[in-house]
Amino acid sequence: MIKVDSLTAGYGKLEILQELSLAFAEGQFSALLGPNGSGKSTLMKAIMGINTIFGGSIQLDGRELVGLRTEDISKLGIAYVPQRENIFTEMTVLENLQLGLRALPREQRQDALEELLKLFPILGRRESQKAGLLSGGEHQMLAIAIAWLSRPSIMLLDEPSAGLAPAIAGDVFRVLQDLRRQGITLVVVEQNARRVLQYCDYAFVLREGRLAFEGSAEDCLNDEETIKGYLGVHEGAVSTSP
Amino acid sequence: MPTALLVTSVVNTIQIGSLYALMALGITLTFSVIRLPNFAHAEYVTVGAFAALIVSLSGEVNPIVIMAAAFVVGALVALVSHLVVFKPLEGRNVSLYTLILSSFAVGLILRYILFMIADSFNLFDTRIRIPLQIIYREGALILTNVFAWVAPTSIALVLLLTLLLNGTPLGREMRALANNISLARVIGIPVERVKNYTWILVGGLAGVAGALWGLQTAVSPLMGWVAILSVFAAAILGGLSSFSGTILGAYVVAFSENTVMLFLNFNFGVDLAYKPAIPFFIIIVVLLIRPQGFTELFNRSRDLQR
Repeated sequence: MIKVDSLTAGYGKLEILQELSLAFAEGQFSALLGPNGSGKSTLMKAIMGINTIFGGSIQLDGRELVGLRTEDISKLGIAYVPQRENIFTEMTVLENLQLGLRALPREQRQDALEELLKLFPILGRRESQKAGLLSGGEHQMLAIAIAWLSRPSIMLLDEPSAGLAPAIAGDVFRVLQDLRRQGITLVVVEQNARRVLQYCDYAFVLREGRLAFEGSAEDCLNDEETIKGYLGVHEGAVSTSP
Repeated sequence: MPTALLVTSVVNTIQIGSLYALMALGITLTFSVIRLPNFAHAEYVTVGAFAALIVSLSGEVNPIVIMAAAFVVGALVALVSHLVVFKPLEGRNVSLYTLILSSFAVGLILRYILFMIADSFNLFDTRIRIPLQIIYREGALILTNVFAWVAPTSIALVLLLTLLLNGTPLGREMRALANNISLARVIGIPVERVKNYTWILVGGLAGVAGALWGLQTAVSPLMGWVAILSVFAAAILGGLSSFSGTILGAYVVAFSENTVMLFLNFNFGVDLAYKPAIPFFIIIVVLLIRPQGFTELFNRSRDLQR
């Protein structure tokens, strides 16, 4: 489990998260919600050691992550799928997958690749294609696949459905549910609160760098105050079905 | 233009072009993976040539040993310049201009250290000593064992480098860094280690290029610097990112400097002294008309791209 304690973090000299404390429970599918600039992506980057941390701590099962290099954090079993530039566009799909596999012992790689192609059959048909030429949905699937191949215990995904057609976004979330059934802890940043709340179990709402709400997905959906006040989504504005 | 002259100039084009390719690929690799247009690359070439020269003067030495020495010394100097200068500067997030200037500074320091060494041991204008043999003679065309070493070795190393980049895990990781360094970190690629290997490879190949260069002309502390403009012209023709484009660029530059120059001299009386202007001319024309170089020609292949 990841435990964030009084974390103040941001970019350069700019503080975005203000003494934030929260915990992502093991095996849970959590959504990280909130308006633009509330610090959702900043939190993910702070966990990965990408941005500036001014104070506080981030612990993975009791181990301090603050101060570690990004590549070492990823070796501890945390995989991160950034919102943009999350695949190697100039390399083939297969090469992208091979890069994802590099963390595994040699003898496990073939099995992992076969299992992956069952989870993401579309990638098998695109193996030799340049990754930059994939469609939006395939692109996101590849990004998730690269992250999954290192066999992480926790996956952080920054807006995995951004820019996708509703039906394809649904496919992405269904894949995420499959991953959760494998016991992977999932944290997803999402703009479309109502959509993600249909798939996840738990939700955190951030506002101006602080925790404004936390509770089960059901509570969050039923809490009209939260929906209206913090998420900026008005009734009827989002009618996407999964 | 007489055929004999044409044939000789084409032979020169192949020999010089292969050497340019070997040097220019190093520049393209540094630019893509490390994101540094490294002008000190010229001096890695010179350092390799001096290492080769010193080893060759110690007695009857097999050319392979000479080139191995040039590789080791070139690699070492490149790695040290990275660890002592470029890496600490990158850590301070300095601008690209600062990095370029620092690469000039590293080059100057190395060049004048070499001047001091050449002065102390009286190494000015000495050739790397290997027994010269004529292996082929047909009219005006004479091929020596120098050609037999230079062209095939350069071409073989270029091919090996291409294989390494496209067919090995290390090459894949180097291309991953070139394509998207932040994602490379996120998926756990040991970025610093891959960068170190890149410097070793780049410096080593530059060193071997210097050794080969020193087989055909006299070794001097300025030799790398003299060649670097032609080499940058080749890399710019390759768009500073495409491998195949850089190799093609190297032969285009060598062809212009040898065959085209000779043609202009023979038919229009253009003085051969204008030869050093050719790379400048190519760089300016390419940057004005086609700044991306040959990149798009090779876009379908699995090239290094920025």
